[in-house]
Amino acid sequence: MTPWNDLFLALPLPEPWLRALLFVVFGLHLLFVLLMLGTAMLGLFSFLEAWLKDDAGRQSWNKRVVGTHMPLKSLAVVLGVAPLLIIQIYNSEAFFTATGIFAYAWIAIIPLLIVAFLSVDVFGHKLDTRPVAALVFACVGLAALLTVPAVFTGALALMERPGLWAAAAAKGPAAAGFATHWVFRYLHVLGAAVVFGGVFHLVFSAKDPERRARMRRWTLAALLFQVVAGSALLATLEGPLGAPAVVALTLGVALAMLAAWLLRAPETDDGASTRSASGGREIGRARLLWLLPALLVTMLAARQLLQDQALEPERSAALAVRAQRAQVLAAQQPRALAEFNAKLATVYDNGKTIYAGSCQPCHGENGLGDGAAARRLLIPAEDLSAIRAERAYVRELLVRGVPGSAMPYFTVFDRVKIESLLDELDGRFAMLSKPEKPQAAAGPDAANAARVWAETCATCHAQDGKGSAFGQTLKPAPPDFSRYALTPERALAVITEGYPGTVMQPYRDLPDGTRRELAVFCQRLRVK
Amino acid sequence: MIFPILHIPVLGDGMTIALDAVLHVLISHGLAIGAVSMVVLFQALAAAGRGAFWSDLGRSLLGPLVIATTSVGAVTGVGIWFITGALAPAGIGSLIHLFFWPWFIEWGAFTAEVVLLLFYYYLWPRLSEERPKALLALGIGYVCMAVLSGILISGILGFMLTPDGWPSGQRFVEAYFNPTFIPQCFLRIFGGLAMGALVALAWTAWTFKGADDERRRALRLCGVVAIVAAAVSGAAGVVYFQRVPQTYLTHWVFAVATSVLSQRPEVLTWLNAGAGAVLLLAALAGVAGRKTASRVLAIPALILCVGLVSEFERVREFVRGPYLLPGYMYANQIPLVQKLAAEKTGMLPELRWVREAREAAPAARSGRALFDADCGVCHSIGGVNDIRQRIAGRTLEGVNALVGITQQMVPFMTPFSGTDAERLTLATYLYALANTNSRPAPQLLLPKKPAAKPAAAAATQGGAKAKEMKQ
Repeated sequence: MTPWNDLFLALPLPEPWLRALLFVVFGLHLLFVLLMLGTAMLGLFSFLEAWLKDDAGRQSWNKRVVGTHMPLKSLAVVLGVAPLLIIQIYNSEAFFTATGIFAYAWIAIIPLLIVAFLSVDVFGHKLDTRPVAALVFACVGLAALLTVPAVFTGALALMERPGLWAAAAAKGPAAAGFATHWVFRYLHVLGAAVVFGGVFHLVFSAKDPERRARMRRWTLAALLFQVVAGSALLATLEGPLGAPAVVALTLGVALAMLAAWLLRAPETDDGASTRSASGGREIGRARLLWLLPALLVTMLAARQLLQDQALEPERSAALAVRAQRAQVLAAQQPRALAEFNAKLATVYDNGKTIYAGSCQPCHGENGLGDGAAARRLLIPAEDLSAIRAERAYVRELLVRGVPGSAMPYFTVFDRVKIESLLDELDGRFAMLSKPEKPQAAAGPDAANAARVWAETCATCHAQDGKGSAFGQTLKPAPPDFSRYALTPERALAVITEGYPGTVMQPYRDLPDGTRRELAVFCQRLRVK
Repeated sequence: MIFPILHIPVLGDGMTIALDAVLHVLISHGLAIGAVSMVVLFQALAAAGRGAFWSDLGRSLLGPLVIATTSVGAVTGVGIWFITGALAPAGIGSLIHLFFWPWFIEWGAFTAEVVLLLFYYYLWPRLSEERPKALLALGIGYVCMAVLSGILISGILGFMLTPDGWPSGQRFVEAYFNPTFIPQCFLRIFGGLAMGALVALAWTAWTFKGADDERRRALRLCGVVAIVAAAVSGAAGVVYFQRVPQTYLTHWVFAVATSVLSQRPEVLTWLNAGAGAVLLLAALAGVAGRKTASRVLAIPALILCVGLVSEFERVREFVRGPYLLPGYMYANQIPLVQKLAAEKTGMLPELRWVREAREAAPAARSGRALFDADCGVCHSIGGVNDIRQRIAGRTLEGVNALVGITQQMVPFMTPFSGTDAERLTLATYLYALANTNSRPAPQLLLPKKPAAKPAAAAATQGGAKAKEMKQ
C-alpha cells in the first residue's frame, strides 16, 4: 500500500517546465482573445460609422470583419483551456482562492460568453440587411463580451495580492483596495485588443488604400491610448518592479514606439507620393506582423515577472503547509482504506444489509431499541421485536417516518428494497404476523379497562384506537391500533411506564388487573 | 477547506453543474461527434459520386453545427471547469493534478478539432467541387480528433466510479485505464452518433428541398445509422453497468426516481421503454423514407434524447455517492483521512474561509460553516434537496443522532466530519433552521447590542461576503 499523498503536491512536470508552458499557452490564448475583442469592437464602431453616414457600400467590408470573429473566438476559447489547466496545477492555492472570492462573477463568465458569441454572430449576419436588429445584438454581444475581461483582470489582480484576499472576501473585490489597478488593467487589455485587432484587419482585411488609412488611424489612436493607460497602470503597481521587469517593460515600450512609427499615416492626395508612400506602408504592414507579437511577448514577460515576484513566497508557504498536513494525515490512511473497502463490499440491495446499516444504529441488532446511536434520544427507539402490525402500515412508517421523533423517512430506498426490508423485519421479529386473538372481555377488570379507555385513553387514541382528531395533532401521534399492535407484555410496559418523551404518561397507579385488561383491549382493536 | 466555499442557493451545486454539463454532453456527443460525422458521411457520398444533393444537405447542416459547437459546446465544456473550480476547487484541483496528461493531450485534440472544423467549414465552398477528397480528409481528420477527445475524457469519467486499484496503489495507470474505460468510450461515441443521426434525420425531414427520391435516400441513411449506433451504444451500456460495482449501481433507481417516485419504480421502466420505442420508431420512419412520419417522430425523439442523456449522467454522478474521488475524497471535498483526523481535532479549525454576514451569532456561524463544509454540496437551504424538508419533524437529539450515522443510514451520503461537540452545534443549527416556529437555542441568537444597526446588517446579508475567520 502506498502511503497517503495530497494530490495537490504532485506536479506532472518540473516547475520551470510548467512555468514555460504556462507562459507560451497563455500568450497564445491572449493573442486570440485580443484579436477577438478587437474585431468585435472594430466591427461595431465601423458599422455605426457606415450606418450614420448612410454608406451601405462599406457594410460588406464590415460584414467580412465581423465574420472573422467566429474563428477567432473559437481559437481564443480552445487556447484558453491549457493555461487554465496549468495555472490550476502550478498556482492552485492563489488561483482557486481568487476565483472563489469572485464566485458568481467567475461562473457568470460562461453564460456571458455564450450570449456574447451568439449575439455577435447574429450581428454579423444582420448588419447589412437589418441595421436596427444588428445594433441591438451588437450592443448586447459587446456588453457581455467586454464584461468577461473585467472579471478576468479582477480575478488575476486579486490573485497577485494575497494580502488583500481577506478584505476582498469580506467587502467584495471592488472595495478591497485594488480597484484603481483593476480599472487600468482592464482598460489596458481593451486598448491592446483594439491595437491587435486593428493591425490584424489592417494587414488581412483592408484592401483599398482609403480603408487602410482609416485602419492606421484607428490603430494608432488605440496605441496612444495604450501609452496613457499603460503609464497609469504602471503607477498603480506597488513595490519595486525589479530589474528584469524594468528591462522587459522598457523593451516593450520601445517596440510600441516603433509600432507607432510604422503606423503613422501620411495621407496625401498626390498620386505619385501615394504610390511611393503606399509601397513604404506595405513594408510597414509586414513589419507590424512580427513587431506586434514581439511586443506581446515582452509585455507578457514583464507581467509574468511581476506576478511571480508577488506570488512565489505565498506559493511556497502554501505548499509547505500542505506537505506538513499530508504527513500528519497519512497516519489515517490504513483505516480510511479499510473503511472504504468494507463499504465497497457492502451492497444495500437486501433487507439484511439495509437493516444493519439503516435500522440497527438506533434499534439495535436484536431490535430492542438499544442501538448505540439511540442512547441519547429523549424518545427511545421502539422495541421492534414487540411490534405486530400490518405490512402496509409498517411500510408507511418507513417511507414517512414518525414526525416528532428521531425516526426518519426512508424513501431513499426504492419500493423493491423497502419490500425486502419488510421481509427482513418479519423474518427477524415476526413483525407482520397477526397477534393471537385474545379471549373475550369478561369480569370487572375488563369492565374497568373499558371505562378507563373510554374516559382517558380515547382522548388521544379514540374509541376505535385509530387516533382521535386531537391525538393526530400530537408529535409523535399515537399509532393506529387497528393496524399496529404491540405484544401484550410490551403494551403493559408502555401503559405502566409511559412512553418517554411523548404525551403517553405512566399509568402505574391504575390497578394491576385494569392495566393488564387495557393491554388486551388494545389487542382486540387490532384483531377483531 | 483551504479554499472559499461557495454553494449555489435554491438550485444547488449539483443542479448548476448538471445544467451546464448536460448541455455540453448533448452538443459534444450529439453534435460535435454525431451530427458532424453525418455531415462528413454525406460529403463522402457526394465525393464518391452518389449525387450532388448529399453535398448540399451536408453543407446546410454544417453551418448551424459550427455555430452551436464553437459558441455553446466549447464554452459549456470550459464552463464545467469554471463552475466546478468555484464550487469544488479541492475536488477538481485533485482531479487535475491526477489527470494532467490526459487533459493536456485532450486540449491538443480539442484545439486540432476546432481548427479542422473551421477549415472544413470555410474551405467547403472552394474544395467541395474541385478537390472533394481533400475536403473529405479534413472532415475525417476532424472526426478522428473529436472521437479522440471523447476517448481521453472517458478515462477520467470512468475513474470516478471504478477506480480499480487506485486507492491503495495511487498509480495513474490504475486510475485512468479503469474497468469502465472501454465500454464507456463505446457508449458515449456511438450514443453521440445515434443522436447525431437523429439530428440529421430531423434536419433532412424538415429542411430538405430536393427531389423526393433524394430525401428518401438521405432519410434511410440517417435511420440506419441511428439504429446501428444506438444498438452498439446500448450493448456498450450493458457492459458498462455490469462493471460498475453493485454497491453503487443499486442506487440508480433512486438516482432517477428521487423521493418523489422511489416507491413506484415501475414507472421508470415504462418511461425508459417508451423513450426507446419512440427513438426506434423515429429511426424506422427514416429507414422507410417517410417524410411526414420522420418529421413528427424526430422532434419527440430528440427531446427524449435530452432526457436519456440527463438520466445517464445523473445515474453516473449520483451513484458514486459519497465519493468525489473514490477511496480518496468524499463528495463534500473532505479527504477520507481528514474525516478520520477530524474526529479528534475537529473541522472548524480547518475552515479558513467562513461567511460571516449571513449568521451573526457565533454558534450559528459555526453551525452554518459546518453545514457548508459537510452538507452544502448536496443539500440547499430552501431549494433543491432542501435540508429543512429532510429533517422536518425530527427532534433535536434525533437530528444529532442522524447526523452521526448518515453514512450507514443512507449509503450514498457522506459521513459527518468533525467532533461530537461540532455535530451538536450543526444539529442545533439545523433544528432551528427546520423549525422556524421553535425558539432557537440561546447560543444561536445574536446577543442584543444597542449599537448594532439593523440596516447595515441587512445590507451585508444579500452579498456573498466572506471573512477570513482565522489566519
